[in-house]
Amino acid sequence: MKIIAALVLIAILLAVTIGVGLYLRWRQSRPQRHIPHEVVQPERLGAEGLGESATLLQFSTQMCARCPGVHRILSSIADEHEGVIHLDVDLTHRPDIARHFHVLQTPTTLVLDGSGTVQTRFGGAPSRDVIELELTRLDRKDAHA
Amino acid sequence: MPETPSSVPAGIDPRGPRFGAAITSVLLIIDLFLSLIDLTEAALWLMVAIALLFLWGVVSPRTAPWGVLFRKVVRPRLAPPSELEDPRPPRFAQGVGLLVTTLGILLHVLGVPFALPIAAALAFVAAFLNAAFAYCLGCEIWLMLQRAGMVGREHRAA
Repeated sequence: MKIIAALVLIAILLAVTIGVGLYLRWRQSRPQRHIPHEVVQPERLGAEGLGESATLLQFSTQMCARCPGVHRILSSIADEHEGVIHLDVDLTHRPDIARHFHVLQTPTTLVLDGSGTVQTRFGGAPSRDVIELELTRLDRKDAHA
Repeated sequence: MPETPSSVPAGIDPRGPRFGAAITSVLLIIDLFLSLIDLTEAALWLMVAIALLFLWGVVSPRTAPWGVLFRKVVRPRLAPPSELEDPRPPRFAQGVGLLVTTLGILLHVLGVPFALPIAAALAFVAAFLNAAFAYCLGCEIWLMLQRAGMVGREHRAA
């Protein structure tokens, strides 16, 4: 193959890879709300209970590089908000839970309301701001209900 | 119990694996270029070298060359890391890189056309996403393998 053609192919590969990276970065702080709003049973996850006003349910694995960072962010948010708890479920040896919640990437974070219903889903490492925003949104919804 | 990832090995600077991934992605794109301009022999040997570096990263991540270079030369010039990271995910990702490059080499030796450039391109995408976007594609593969029923069932909690 000619050098020019090779360089063009490489440039295309580079452009596609950067596009994928930008898409992944954009998607991970985007709340997904068109999801099944099922009620989570904490016992099935090995937890004792859920938060009174909200629960930040994080799914991690031991092979997940960004899970510990997200764990720190979510637990500090939970500490700052009355009635909000953070659950981190390790899926490394629990494919059943991964399948049940259709977890395709870690971390995946579900925001549950006071009744344990899944309201919002984040795939990837969401920033602190978008999680705070979701909690505020839940609060307002509760106040109107 | 929902396990928190707390009982883990000593943390590493997360910029270390990303530094290594940056060098690896440069090597892979050189390899891709060599194989595309039909310098197949050179591309093959560079790929073997990259695969050996991946193997080194899996067997002994602490002594792997890019990690040592990072700790000796790069990190002293940077601010201390804001947080430390579990060393197991990057190590697992090195294993995924090893698998992809080894498959490329094997298929090439068996005469499969385009095995080298395809393997180099796939590994490049993963290494570049890690270096530039801190997105560890190799780490996500664990979940895919698990959902395919290949890993993660050995000591399943009751």
